[in-house]
Amino acid sequence: MKKICVLALTIASVAMNAQSNISSAMFGTMEARQLGPGTMSGRITAIDGSVKDEGKTIYIGTAGGGVWKSTNAGASFKSVFDKYCQSIGAVAINQKNPAVVYAGTGESNMRNSVSYGNGLYKSTDGGDNWKKIGLDSSEHISKIIISAENPDIVYVAVPGALWSDSKNRGLYKSTNGGDTWEKILYVDEKTGCADIVIDPTNANVLFASMWQFRRMPYSFDSGGKGSGLYKSTDGGKTWKEIKNGLPSKPFGRIALALAPSDPKQMIAIVESTNTGLYISSDAGETWKSQSATMNVTARPFYFSTIAIDPKDPKRVYRPAFNFSYSSDGGYSFTDASYDATWVHSDMHAIWINPANTNIMYVGTDGGLYVSLDRGVNWQFNQGLPVGQFYHVAYDMKDPYNVYGGLQDNGSWMAPSSAPGGIGNGNWDRVGGGDGFWTIPDADGKTVYSEYQGGNMFRTNLTNMKSEFIQPQKTSQEQTDKLRLNWNTPLITGANNPKNLYVGCQFMYKSTDQGRNWKRISPDLTTNDKNKQKQEDSGGLSEDNTSAENHCTIFTIAESPLDENMIWCGTDDGNLQYTIDAGEDWTNVSTNLAKAGIAAQAWVSSIQPSKFDKNTVYVTLENHMYGDFQTYLAKSTDMGKTWKRINSKEFTGFAHKIKEDLVNKDLLFLGTEMGLFQTLDGGENWFRMKNNIPEYAMVRDIQIHPVTHDLIIASHGRGIFILDDIRAMRNMTKDILDKDVYLFPTPDLVLNNGKFGWGGPEVSGGWSAGNPPSTPSIDYYLKQRLSSGKITIEIYDDKNKLLQTIPGTVRKGINRVYWNLRGTPPRVAAGSLKMDGAGFTSPMVLPGKYTVKLIVKDQEFKGELNCVHDAQNKEMSLDDRKLVYQKAMQLQELYNDVNNTIDSISLYQSGLKTDTVAFSKNKNAKAFYEDLQKVKSEIVASKKKSMFADEERIREKVSALYGTFCGMEAKPNSMQMDAIEVLQKDFTVQKDALKKVIQKNLPKNPQLKLPKGF
Amino acid sequence: MKNLKNVLALLIISVCSLAATAQTSEEIVANHIKAIGGKENWEKLKSIKMEGTIKAQGAEIKIASYQVDKKAMRENITVMGMNGYSIVTTTEGWSYMPFGGQTKPEPMTADDLKNAQEDLYLADAFITYVELGKKLEYLGKDDFDGTDCFKFKMTDKNAKETTYYIDASNYYILKQTNKIKANGQEMENAVVYSDYKKLDEGIVYPMSVASGYGQMQVSKLEVNVAIDDATFQLPKDGK
Repeated sequence: MKKICVLALTIASVAMNAQSNISSAMFGTMEARQLGPGTMSGRITAIDGSVKDEGKTIYIGTAGGGVWKSTNAGASFKSVFDKYCQSIGAVAINQKNPAVVYAGTGESNMRNSVSYGNGLYKSTDGGDNWKKIGLDSSEHISKIIISAENPDIVYVAVPGALWSDSKNRGLYKSTNGGDTWEKILYVDEKTGCADIVIDPTNANVLFASMWQFRRMPYSFDSGGKGSGLYKSTDGGKTWKEIKNGLPSKPFGRIALALAPSDPKQMIAIVESTNTGLYISSDAGETWKSQSATMNVTARPFYFSTIAIDPKDPKRVYRPAFNFSYSSDGGYSFTDASYDATWVHSDMHAIWINPANTNIMYVGTDGGLYVSLDRGVNWQFNQGLPVGQFYHVAYDMKDPYNVYGGLQDNGSWMAPSSAPGGIGNGNWDRVGGGDGFWTIPDADGKTVYSEYQGGNMFRTNLTNMKSEFIQPQKTSQEQTDKLRLNWNTPLITGANNPKNLYVGCQFMYKSTDQGRNWKRISPDLTTNDKNKQKQEDSGGLSEDNTSAENHCTIFTIAESPLDENMIWCGTDDGNLQYTIDAGEDWTNVSTNLAKAGIAAQAWVSSIQPSKFDKNTVYVTLENHMYGDFQTYLAKSTDMGKTWKRINSKEFTGFAHKIKEDLVNKDLLFLGTEMGLFQTLDGGENWFRMKNNIPEYAMVRDIQIHPVTHDLIIASHGRGIFILDDIRAMRNMTKDILDKDVYLFPTPDLVLNNGKFGWGGPEVSGGWSAGNPPSTPSIDYYLKQRLSSGKITIEIYDDKNKLLQTIPGTVRKGINRVYWNLRGTPPRVAAGSLKMDGAGFTSPMVLPGKYTVKLIVKDQEFKGELNCVHDAQNKEMSLDDRKLVYQKAMQLQELYNDVNNTIDSISLYQSGLKTDTVAFSKNKNAKAFYEDLQKVKSEIVASKKKSMFADEERIREKVSALYGTFCGMEAKPNSMQMDAIEVLQKDFTVQKDALKKVIQKNLPKNPQLKLPKGF
Repeated sequence: MKNLKNVLALLIISVCSLAATAQTSEEIVANHIKAIGGKENWEKLKSIKMEGTIKAQGAEIKIASYQVDKKAMRENITVMGMNGYSIVTTTEGWSYMPFGGQTKPEPMTADDLKNAQEDLYLADAFITYVELGKKLEYLGKDDFDGTDCFKFKMTDKNAKETTYYIDASNYYILKQTNKIKANGQEMENAVVYSDYKKLDEGIVYPMSVASGYGQMQVSKLEVNVAIDDATFQLPKDGK
């Protein structure tokens, strides 16, 4: 009975949801620009290439940007995993049938900021479509191996959960192409499978390294009794542990490689109290320790890749902190040359093209590199926009700039639009290290940035000189040291942007750009000493890079309504506020816990409302205790009571809540697995698609107050800008209930857009384009229109039809763009070249216009207000009127020219109606030739290649007409005079034509012209 | 309580029956063919003559196309008084596009011709795929432009892959994407159909076809009219 009730309730809730007409489909036409960039790219975790097509097809797995595919050896990539989890641990191609591809979600480079996965996916059509095929609770997958002989046999190494115990770890095997899975090697709930290699000549021989590891929010532990190296000779039925020659246990993480051309040759990097490189020449039975460079043994939990050339068993590659190669089977190593370029440190993936082993690809924390000379020199690939931003900020310039810090890639800024669109070359670096908060000062020439552990700077953007501004411990502090989070909050005030705040365990405030600081709080954390032993962190290899710093302030928010009201949240569960700029602080974390949120949950963002001082939203996340729930809560009484806001749409732990600047019921939520939106204050939520990957890791969200753009920082797909979200802001239930609704159109400023062409993108790589140069005309359809069409008509104030635009028919918001012009003139036949005039018309004058939306037989009218561009100092309103008048004069002349060409052509075809008679008729031939002579003066008509210019009157009129149509300045006297010159030239030809007709027509009585000619 | 139990039981039965109505891919295909006028009517289709326009920034591009089932097709494009065309027959393929500077017709590559010849079949792809030896795969439900769709993929002998989105509410094809491997490249294009109209001949045909070239609105459509063979021959003057 209980089961029935649950089922019924689920059904009821599904039914209720189905009734709501709100979904991302409403706004599907609003597509975000993916700014990327590919300039610094991001962490690459897996690479595989197809041997069958000589390595032209390559799949790239990324830490937070899904899977990318190239079919041209990396010259260009496209994203093929936008609908699924974006954290990728492994990719593998079935080399017998390269259309079959596996992708394991959940990266296995187990750093503090690593994301998690939700299973294993398979595509049977080269990445176009994917199906989840199990291992749903694996969380992390490090490797997939497909048997070369029988591709139905697949092995998957699952290290498993990073933040909790789990039974869902170990080595898995499928013998039916992934339909079912069997766990063939398992140690315990703390130990997973880190690596696996298989003998390509005998699929029953395999080696697996098991790894015991665990993270806590404040420490990392690599190694333990569970770790070990295992061998099976019966396809995984039985295993034996291998110890002979290896160091004494406990082990940490072990990286394995086997020489495909000589499978008895093996190499292992074994993490232990004395981490080292080990070589075996007898298929892993015995091992010998080998001296190794720092790079070979560095940071084994993070650098877990070693590879042997597919053809040469002596050639060994170690992508790690740097890239090292060996030509003697691993006895000695050399680091790669930086002659061609610096190669980003921290490497995690390598693929060597077996068809040509000179060619290889390596994946780093900063993108993909290719080598054509066996790993000695490298070239950076600029086409993968997979940067891992933590935060994003904007300034108030026009166009505004975006600022943000990235994992292992420093801090950067770029304009939100630029001539030719935003490309890789538009990004400027403003800080190094792991980048986090990057905040412009209101003065327009200063930026604050930081690297890991709160090392922060004030940088002068005019000369890029930086000053270190981190608050320091003074003689008055009653503490051992200041505790700064890896991602230390460094923000300016939402109410008073001159206030600069930094949080460690204390809050600091500066009102002079960080030159002087004032401590404005006591320790606001739990100050739990058990969580402050970072110097012991790492396990077998010590690893303390500030990434585990704990009991720190993580987020700060000044109320947009009052600079004295400041909220802050800590990484250990405290949420505190002051209403007197820091004199007194109130901790409301116990109130928050009553709403059902874990007490120690990390406060990830705070949004004090812009509409009510007592209202505040917070997101919290508890993933470091193995809890991936989405925690969002709201209080309307200054934190005394809280209501948890939840939705079955939510996936992923929460990073950021953002309230709209105008519509208090419009909220955006960013999580580790998606971007969500509500239009009703949090009652109903839907996943935003809008050209944003459905499970994007959304770390930060901002709304620009002038352009109304939604600016999104993702941890793996760079920056997204959803231009002008007013259509979301203005969407009401009333409108949603209508079948068709024409939205009011914002004022249309008369110009050709913000920018000119800007030239081709010089650096190549990723390009994000610009926002539309003029606002769109928006209309809403409740349902897609399958039969019947939609047309948009634009009329002037005299009800003259200026232009007809075909409309789209999609469900939700549709957008059409009017180019602010009338219908271009007709172009008469007679030339062998395209004529530009046929594509343009003068820009309309300021005034009221009417838009008519015609949906089948229904009409909807709206007003369009076109306004003069007062910002353009080159062109006054009078200039504009003059330009318009001259352009129209030229259009008339152009029409006259084309009508004349048509007349001549009509006479000519009339003469040639009877070709036999024509060939015998001298008078007809003479008439024809005379006509042709005039025509050839009016229009370019010789047979010429496109590289030979020929200019006659029409071409000249067309060029001048085009100039006036595009003019955004006062015309000069020569340009004005040129119109008169052309008019005179044309009059001469018209007179000549008249004479030709007067002379020849009487001699050609046979000529029949159409009626009314 | 007993009442509640009954209500729940009823609710569950109705849900189960909902589940039972989940269609097989064969049923979806059958419903699609029925929705567009039925196999019989489509098989009577021998030729199509069509006129239409593409509007760009207020300017007009005129299109005229002539298609004879399984034999030949020609498309004329008129822009600013200039005429271009493409011709595909069972043996050859040509294109003349003077707009970009071509001065004479150029032959299609063998790969391009093979791909183009497949479109010589006038009947709907779901009617002809068996005859053409294509593999059909049902990929489940997906969303296109916010509309719930059934998604299918067809793969032909040349490894050309076409994905179809069929509107779940009326079984019309809303979109097709083509992935073509030709001349050493992999290319993708998409076509979106709308403004479906039932013709006198009983078939339902889209009057609006949007692709990368713009949105073509059909202004005139004639079915089963005679088309002169000369239409598909290269003009003697080479243009």
